[in-house]
Amino acid sequence: MTTTTADIASPDMAAPPNPPGTLEIRNVSKAFPNVQALSDVSLDIRPGEILAFMGENGAGKSTLLKIINGDYQPDSGTLTIDGERLSFSNPRAAHKAGIRVIYQEPEIIPGVDVAENIWAGELPKRFGMFSRTRLNHEVRRSLAQYGFEDVVPIHSLGEELSSAQRQLVEIMRALKSGVRVLALDEPTSSLADEEVERLFTLVRRLRDEGVAIIYVSHRIKEILRLCDRVAILRDGQLVAVRPAAELTDGEIVRLMVGRELSEFIQRRRAGTDREVLRVTGLRSNWHQDVSFHINAGEVVGFSGLIGAGRTELAKVIFGELPKNGGSIVLDGQETTIRRPDDAIAKGIGFAPEDRKREGLVLIRSVLENASLAILRRLSRFHFVRRGLERSIASEYIETLRVRTPSLEQEVGKLSGGNQQKVVLARWLAAKPKVLILDEPTRGIDVGAKAEIYRLIDDLANQGLGIMFISSELPEILGLSDRIYVLQAGRITGELSAAEATEEAVLKLAMVDQLSTVPAGAAISSEENGTA
Amino acid sequence: MSSTSTSPTAARARGGAFRRLIGFIGADNLSLMFALVALVFLVVVASGWFGFSGGDKFFSWQNLMNSLAQAIVIVGLLSIGETVVIVAGALDISVGSIASVGSVVAASVLVGTGTVGALKILPTNNVLIAVFAGIMAGALAGAINGLIVTQLRVNPIIATLGTLAAFAGFAFLLAPEGKPIGVVTQPQFTWLAQGRFLQDLAIPPLAGSKWTGIPVLTVVLVIVAIIVHIIMTYTDFGRAVYAIGGNATAARLAGINLSRVRVLMYMLSGGIAGLAGVLLTARTTSGNPVNGTGLELQAVTAVFLGGAATAGGKGTIFGTFLAVILVGVLNNGMNLLGFNTFVQRVALGLLLIAAVAISQGRQARAERVRTRIAAKE
Repeated sequence: MTTTTADIASPDMAAPPNPPGTLEIRNVSKAFPNVQALSDVSLDIRPGEILAFMGENGAGKSTLLKIINGDYQPDSGTLTIDGERLSFSNPRAAHKAGIRVIYQEPEIIPGVDVAENIWAGELPKRFGMFSRTRLNHEVRRSLAQYGFEDVVPIHSLGEELSSAQRQLVEIMRALKSGVRVLALDEPTSSLADEEVERLFTLVRRLRDEGVAIIYVSHRIKEILRLCDRVAILRDGQLVAVRPAAELTDGEIVRLMVGRELSEFIQRRRAGTDREVLRVTGLRSNWHQDVSFHINAGEVVGFSGLIGAGRTELAKVIFGELPKNGGSIVLDGQETTIRRPDDAIAKGIGFAPEDRKREGLVLIRSVLENASLAILRRLSRFHFVRRGLERSIASEYIETLRVRTPSLEQEVGKLSGGNQQKVVLARWLAAKPKVLILDEPTRGIDVGAKAEIYRLIDDLANQGLGIMFISSELPEILGLSDRIYVLQAGRITGELSAAEATEEAVLKLAMVDQLSTVPAGAAISSEENGTA
Repeated sequence: MSSTSTSPTAARARGGAFRRLIGFIGADNLSLMFALVALVFLVVVASGWFGFSGGDKFFSWQNLMNSLAQAIVIVGLLSIGETVVIVAGALDISVGSIASVGSVVAASVLVGTGTVGALKILPTNNVLIAVFAGIMAGALAGAINGLIVTQLRVNPIIATLGTLAAFAGFAFLLAPEGKPIGVVTQPQFTWLAQGRFLQDLAIPPLAGSKWTGIPVLTVVLVIVAIIVHIIMTYTDFGRAVYAIGGNATAARLAGINLSRVRVLMYMLSGGIAGLAGVLLTARTTSGNPVNGTGLELQAVTAVFLGGAATAGGKGTIFGTFLAVILVGVLNNGMNLLGFNTFVQRVALGLLLIAAVAISQGRQARAERVRTRIAAKE
């Protein structure tokens, strides 16, 4: 604790006067009922600099962003730019002052095309009439300026855009109205690595053009690569602001939680030769001839770019999306799975990527969510045995250390990490043979991630076969016993834990794009008859 | 993240006995009770101040047992079935028409005329079979609703708007030349509407009117309410209904067979509507195809007033039951004070809108709480 207070009184504030256009945050505090979300935070956000906000969930990053964006008003403290006091009563006022926060899920109007989305609210007029020609011209010009004309087709409708494209649209919106301070909230959480690179190029360019950039992320590696300074929050307080060059992964994590990074991923490999799942020649609207297998006690990673068909593969196997051909053998028996309840009855569990939309019934209790997949087993003559239900649910809620005041708590009122644990508790209770985890650590804090890694390891050691889908290479590499790489609906390679490196995985994921790569030994030798 | 975080919500969950009582009854239900008391006060006391006469008759056994307790039964039954459907995030606006079908079918079996009676498949003149046939006709109609929604993927509002018309017409087709079937005379059957329990209890008269016992109709309503409450609270089906209403995708991915639950829930709602139709026949002593017309509006109003979420996933039978009483008192009070039925209809329409507006406001508030928690992260 004493070291951290010393960090705050760093030379940061006494340093040379801030350049014009600096957003100066002074002594900002904000309390919500029962929680002090921010206390006495002072920070300078300088033009021409990328400043990272880091901290566990609940540390106050989002609250700070929302104050900057005018969603919330601080209880005390000030925001000033060039000596001018800013006081926003809503996001529109912040936008007018040149401040934009781009949240994880950008607000895109679904039925309207890209051009109109970018200009939403202030369509260009000519003689008092909306000018489509001028609109298209302007949008094309600004996209071209940043080299995105081929990434975002301007006539696509909002609903057709990928996460990456949505973010670009939101950024273009900000640029069009002359942004001075641009904040990005977890911008890469739904991007594939290649898209991340594009985003970084754009962010660096904006910085060089003199925009002050706030970058919020859980991904330490990204922060260290991209950002100039790092501000670390813990429990609503600013713990440290340091140049990124002076920080290491371990240092950041220590400042955030007081734990070392090395504890994070530990996999005691325990794979057996007993197959629990074999998929052969699977075809669907998204896949051509996908074959793979998972053994009991194995964590099998599925890597690939966004759109490679990993989530869809999980859903086809689970009976949520239609299968056009191929066979699924579970525990040595060929099975037909028509619906998710079939899959569950046959011993497959599936924790979906989007826990709020697909995983949880947010307005119902922790208990009801945890027991949802085993209702039939819990019931006798259709009456739920409530004592049994409570004891099973509380067992897994405790095993997973879900922080909830009671089993009756509404799941929507828990933090992201705890919500994810409730989904996992549901599947542990169902005791499947194969558990499909689709991005199980997305959007949750470091502490909860570490717990989930430990859990995956434990489950595999208990003999479960785990299909582990993730876009984060370090966790795929750290946890998987084997890795399959998908690209455009095909498996382009299989790597053992020993062979797997970030580079090897990325090569397989982008096989088409890297036309310069020779059809070389490295790739073809790793392909296991999936050609 | 570490052990330091004694959750603030945990602290809030403790608190006094009063809070626990509210927690048990439910804050929404409590406000319904307050509304009920306020309404009774308006009818009984305030009406006198504004020069209306009749308010003083409210607290008489004649009014409470013969008018109020009986008047709420039919709408009450429909509302209970409707609650299940609305909690599952759907809607059934055909319940009034299903009640008409149930009414005509029951009368047809009893009297032996009309399509069902003339077919002679079922032994006529048998009261139990008549009641059973009315309920089954309703369940069948519900199954049709369910299949239209699940197999043809028609939006529930549109689907049941269609069957609202179709079943209403069908009720006429089942009756000879579309005329009411009657007169039903079986005493065991008319007992359903005219019978009284506990008539001999020594209960002192109220406002000059003597204790006449509890109507059989009211007892049927209470029993059905209890059964459906048990289904919704203690069975896997009830859990599935809440889960589907809260998030259908998540429910499906957790292994709930959405189609089956939806068909069953429409059958439940339809079966109860069929029973309501049977009771209508008992009360009017005839199977009239217009018996159930327009009742769906009151049923839907009561469900939303009772605290069900318009988006589904929330709502209780108890809340609906309180709301049914509230609507009953409103109608009864307006009758006593001499307002005509047109005024009552205006009031009911406005009440539906107010109930939904309150429900939406409640959801928006809950949403804000969730965003606030997300914001702390």
